Amino acid sequence: MISKNAKLIQRACIYVLLILGALVFVAPFAWMVSTSLKPLNETMSLPPRWLPTEIQWDNYPQAVDEMKLFWRYTANTLYLCVMTVVGSVVSSSLAAYGFSRIQWPGRDKVFVLVLATMMIPFPVIMVPLYTLFREIGWIGSYKPLWVPSFFAGAFNVFLLRQFFLTLPKDLEEAARIDGASELQIFWRVILPLAKPALIVVALFQFMATWNDFLGPLIYLTDQSDFTLALGLQAYQSKGGGTDWHYLMAASTLVVLPVVVLFFFTQRYFVEGIATTGGKG
Amino acid sequence: MGPGVSRSEKRKIIAGLLFISPWVAGFIFLTLYPLVSSAYLSLTDYSVLADPVFIGLDNYKHLATDQLFWQSLWNTFYFAVLSIPINLITAIFLAVLLNFDLTGKKIFRTIYFLPSLVPMVCMGVLWQWMLNGQVGLINQVLWPICDALNWMTGTNLAPPNWLANPAYAKAGLVLASMWGVGNAVVIFLAGLQDVPRTLYEAAGLDGCSFWQKTVHVTLPVISPVIYFNGIMSLIGSFQVFAVPYVMTNGGEGPGRSLLFSATYIFNKGFESWSMGYACAVALILFVIVLGLTLLATYLSERHVYYAAK
Amino acid sequence: MSPLSTVSVSIIAIGVLFLLTIGDEDDKVREDGRIEVEYWEKWTGFEREAMEDLVAEYNRSQDQVYVKFLSVSNIDRKLMLATAGGNPPDVAGIWSSNLPVFASNGALTPLDVQLSESSLGEQGYLPSVWRQLVVYDRVWALPATPGTNALHWNKQMFRQAGLDPDRPPRTIAELEQYNDQLTQFGDNGQIQAMGHLPVEPGWWSASWSIWFGGTIWNGDSRVTATSDANVAALKWIESYPERYGAESLMGFRQLSGVFASPENPFFRGRVAMVLQGPWMYNFINNFAPKDFEYGVAPFPTIDEEDYGASLVETDCLVIPRGAAHPEEAFKFISWLQQPEQMEALCLAQLKFSPLKEVSEDFYERHPNPHIHVYRELAEHPLAQIRPQMVTYNDFSNDMVNAIDNVMRNKMQALEAAQEVQKRQQALFTRKHEAWLKIQDKRLKEWDQE
Repeated sequence: MISKNAKLIQRACIYVLLILGALVFVAPFAWMVSTSLKPLNETMSLPPRWLPTEIQWDNYPQAVDEMKLFWRYTANTLYLCVMTVVGSVVSSSLAAYGFSRIQWPGRDKVFVLVLATMMIPFPVIMVPLYTLFREIGWIGSYKPLWVPSFFAGAFNVFLLRQFFLTLPKDLEEAARIDGASELQIFWRVILPLAKPALIVVALFQFMATWNDFLGPLIYLTDQSDFTLALGLQAYQSKGGGTDWHYLMAASTLVVLPVVVLFFFTQRYFVEGIATTGGKG
Repeated sequence: MGPGVSRSEKRKIIAGLLFISPWVAGFIFLTLYPLVSSAYLSLTDYSVLADPVFIGLDNYKHLATDQLFWQSLWNTFYFAVLSIPINLITAIFLAVLLNFDLTGKKIFRTIYFLPSLVPMVCMGVLWQWMLNGQVGLINQVLWPICDALNWMTGTNLAPPNWLANPAYAKAGLVLASMWGVGNAVVIFLAGLQDVPRTLYEAAGLDGCSFWQKTVHVTLPVISPVIYFNGIMSLIGSFQVFAVPYVMTNGGEGPGRSLLFSATYIFNKGFESWSMGYACAVALILFVIVLGLTLLATYLSERHVYYAAK
Repeated sequence: MSPLSTVSVSIIAIGVLFLLTIGDEDDKVREDGRIEVEYWEKWTGFEREAMEDLVAEYNRSQDQVYVKFLSVSNIDRKLMLATAGGNPPDVAGIWSSNLPVFASNGALTPLDVQLSESSLGEQGYLPSVWRQLVVYDRVWALPATPGTNALHWNKQMFRQAGLDPDRPPRTIAELEQYNDQLTQFGDNGQIQAMGHLPVEPGWWSASWSIWFGGTIWNGDSRVTATSDANVAALKWIESYPERYGAESLMGFRQLSGVFASPENPFFRGRVAMVLQGPWMYNFINNFAPKDFEYGVAPFPTIDEEDYGASLVETDCLVIPRGAAHPEEAFKFISWLQQPEQMEALCLAQLKFSPLKEVSEDFYERHPNPHIHVYRELAEHPLAQIRPQMVTYNDFSNDMVNAIDNVMRNKMQALEAAQEVQKRQQALFTRKHEAWLKIQDKRLKEWDQE
C-alpha cells in the first residue's frame, strides 16, 4: 500500500500541475481583457506591458462605436439563434422519437445513415448548397442560415435519441392502452421527461449559431445584416491598421454572453457533452 | 408489403417515417442533393453567374498537377497529424488529473472548459494577437527564457515570429487548438466515471503504480471514448477554416503554410469564382474523410475494448 | 391522433414555415417618393467620410434620387455574392484591378451606351487612368480617386549617413549604393537600420517588373513571369538575403512594428526608403514624429531612361448587372465626375485628380505638398497599369509567395520565377480557353444592354 506521505506528495503534485495548467488556460482571457483596457500606444509599445497604466473603460463604448452596427449585429445574431433553436428542438425531437420510441423495421439501419451524415464536413457541400439557395433566391437573406435547422440536424437527433432510449418502456404503454396516438405520447409523455436533453440541444444550437462564421460569410451580403462573428471579422480585416485595444474589447463583448450563459447552465453543458461522447 | 405485416405493424412504419420526416427531407435536400450536384458541378466550368459548361474530367486533370491543391492537402494532413495526438493526450492527461477527488475540482473544470466556448472568430482574433511576433503574450513569456539561455550558453536565440514564419505558423495554430481542448476533457471525464472502482481496487491490491493503473486499466476502458474523440477531431481538423482565416486576415499564411483544404475550396469557389473546380476539390476531400473514418472504424474494432453492456 | 391527422399537421406546419420564409422581401420605395439608389463602398475612415459628404451633397442637390451609402468590407466578394444572388447594389466602389474578373464573369453593366449619350468620355481623363476602365473594348466603370506609387525617403537618415537629403537615387544601382551607406549594424552584428528593403511593406509584389523595364503578361494568352524584367527584379530581391543573410533579415523584420502605428519602420527611422503612395501623407500626419522630414520622388529604375515609370491604380465606380436602378446610378456617378465634385473628393481623400484638366488652385488647396509628384507619375508616358488578366489575383499571390521564398533563401530567383510561370500559365490558359468558348455569347449580351 502507498504510504500516507507518498499520497500527500502525490496530491500536492496534482495541485501544482492543475494550478499551472489553469494559469496557462486563463492567460489568453486575461491578455484579451488587459489589452482591451489599454490605450492604443500601450498595446504596441516595446517592450510590451502586462497591464495598462491607466484603465481605459472608455475603450468599450468606443469599440462598439467603431464597429458601427454592433447592436444591430447583436440583434441579428439573437434572431438567428432563436430561429435555429426553435427549429432544431422541434425537428430533432420529432426525429429522435421516430428513431427511438417506435419500433419499425429498418430503423436502426437508417439511423446509421444519420450518424454517417455527421461525418460530412461543411466545406464539402458548401458550394452546391450556395447554388441551391441561389436558385431559390435566398442569398442575402437569413433563410439559408435558419431554415436548415428545421430539418433535424444529425448531431441533435443523435443526442436526443440517446436520451429517449434511456426512458423506461412502460411509460408509454399505459398511454397507448388508453388509446393515445404516437403524437400525443410524444407530446404528453416523452417531451416533459426529456426537458434536460432538450435544454442541451437548445444550448448547443445556440452556441453553434452564435459561433457560425462560414455560413454568414457566404450567404449574407448586406453589411447591416451581419452577425456578430462576421461583423467582428469585417472590423478586423478593414483596411489600414488594426486597433487592437478596440478589437479585444469587441472580442470580449462577443465572448462574454457565452461565458455568462455557461455559468447559468453549467450542469446541462457538462451532461450534454458527456452524452455525446459516452456511448457512441 | 407482404401479408405477414399486420395492421399495427404498418401503422408503426407510417408513424415512424412521419416522425423522422424532417430528417429525411433534410437528408435529401441538404445532404444528398448537394453531394450529387457537387459531383456533377465538379465536371463543369462554373462561375456562378453563367450556366455550368460541361468539361468532363478536365478539373480533375488540372487538380493532379495543381501544386496549391497538393499543398493544401499536405497542410491539412500535417495539421491533423500534429494536433490530434497532442490534443488527445492533453485532454486525457487533464481528465485524469481532474478525476481525482480534490477540493476546488469544479473551479478547475470550469477554467479548463471555458476556452472551448470561445467563438471561432474571437479565437482567431485573440490568437493572432497572442502569437504576434513583437508584442504577443507567447513571445513575452519566451523572450526572458531565450535571454537566459543566450546568457548562459552564448547562443543567439530569439522567439519565433509565429504567424510570419512558415516553420512556426502551424505550430501556432496547434497552440490555439490546444486551448480549446476543454470539450474533449469533459467527454473523457464522463468516460472515466465508467471505469469500475473494483478494477482499480484489484489493481491496487496487485501493487500497481498509478502509471500502471492508467495504462492497463484506465486507457483500455475509455478506449471507445478515445476512438470517438479521435474521429471527431479528425473530421474537425479537415474542416478547419475560421481560425486560420481570421488569424491571417483572410490570407493563406506565410509561405502558404496555413492554406488548408477548406480554405482552398473557399478561395476557389468564392474568390476565384471557379465553383466547378472547388467542387472537385471538395469531392476529393469527402472521399479522404470517408476513407479515414472507415479506416479508423476498422482499426478500432481490433483495438478498442468494449465492456459488455 | 391518427397517422392521418399527423400527416395533415405536418403538411400544415411545413406550409406555414414556407409562407414565413417567403414573407420578408423589402421594398425600396421611399416615403418621400424618391428612388433609392444603394451604393456600396470599400472605404473606412477619412476616405469614407469624404465620400459620405459628397453623397449627402448629392442628396441635397436634387429631389428625384436618394443615394444610400453603405460601407462594406471585403467588397469584391460581397459584390459578387450579391450579384450572383440577384440582389446587387446599384453602385459599387471597387478597385480597377477587379474589373477584368467582374466583367468576364458578366457581373457588371457596360457603360458605353450611357456614356455615348452623355458628355463624359475618354477625352476628359488621364490616359493611364482611362485605360484601366476598358476591358474587352468596353467601358465598365468611371474613376473615383487614383493613386501612383513613388519613392518616399527619410531626409534625416540621409543626412546622418552623409547623403544629400534632396538628391534621391534615380537608378537601382544608385539605390543599392545608398542602401549600403544607410544600413547600420549593432554591436552583435544585428541589423539596426536599413536603407531599403523590398518587402517593407512589399505591397506590390507582382509589379516590380515595372521598374525593371518589363511586364508579366503579353496582353493576350501568355503569362511572362520569366520575362527578363521580372527575373531581374527577383534577382535584385535575392541580393538582399545574399548580402545581409536571410536569418538576420527575418530578425530585423520581426522587430519592425505595425504599419499604421508609431512603430512603422519608416517613421521610426528603421528603413530609410520605401515604395508607397499618396495615402502616406495621412499616416505620417497621424503617426510619425512631429519633426519627421521626408521627400517623394519617382522610384529608381534599372535603366535611367525609364526613370518616372510607376504603377497607376484607381478606385472606380461600377453598376452591377441586375441593379434595380441603373439609370439613376449612372446619374449619380456622372455627377461625381464633374470637376467641382471630383476635386472636392480628391482633396478630401488626399489624392490627385483623374481628370485631364485641373483647376488652377487645386495644388495650392491640396494639403499634401508632394501631390504633384504622384500626378506627374500618372501623366508619365511610361505609367503602367495592372495587367488586365483574369487570373491577376492568383498571379499576385504567387508572386508574394515567390518573393517570400527568395527572401528566406528557400528558392533561387530564377527557380521561383519559373515556378510562378508554370502554375500561372496553366491557370491562365484554362481561364482563357473557357473565355474563348463563351466570348461570342457574352459580347452579344453586352451589345444588347
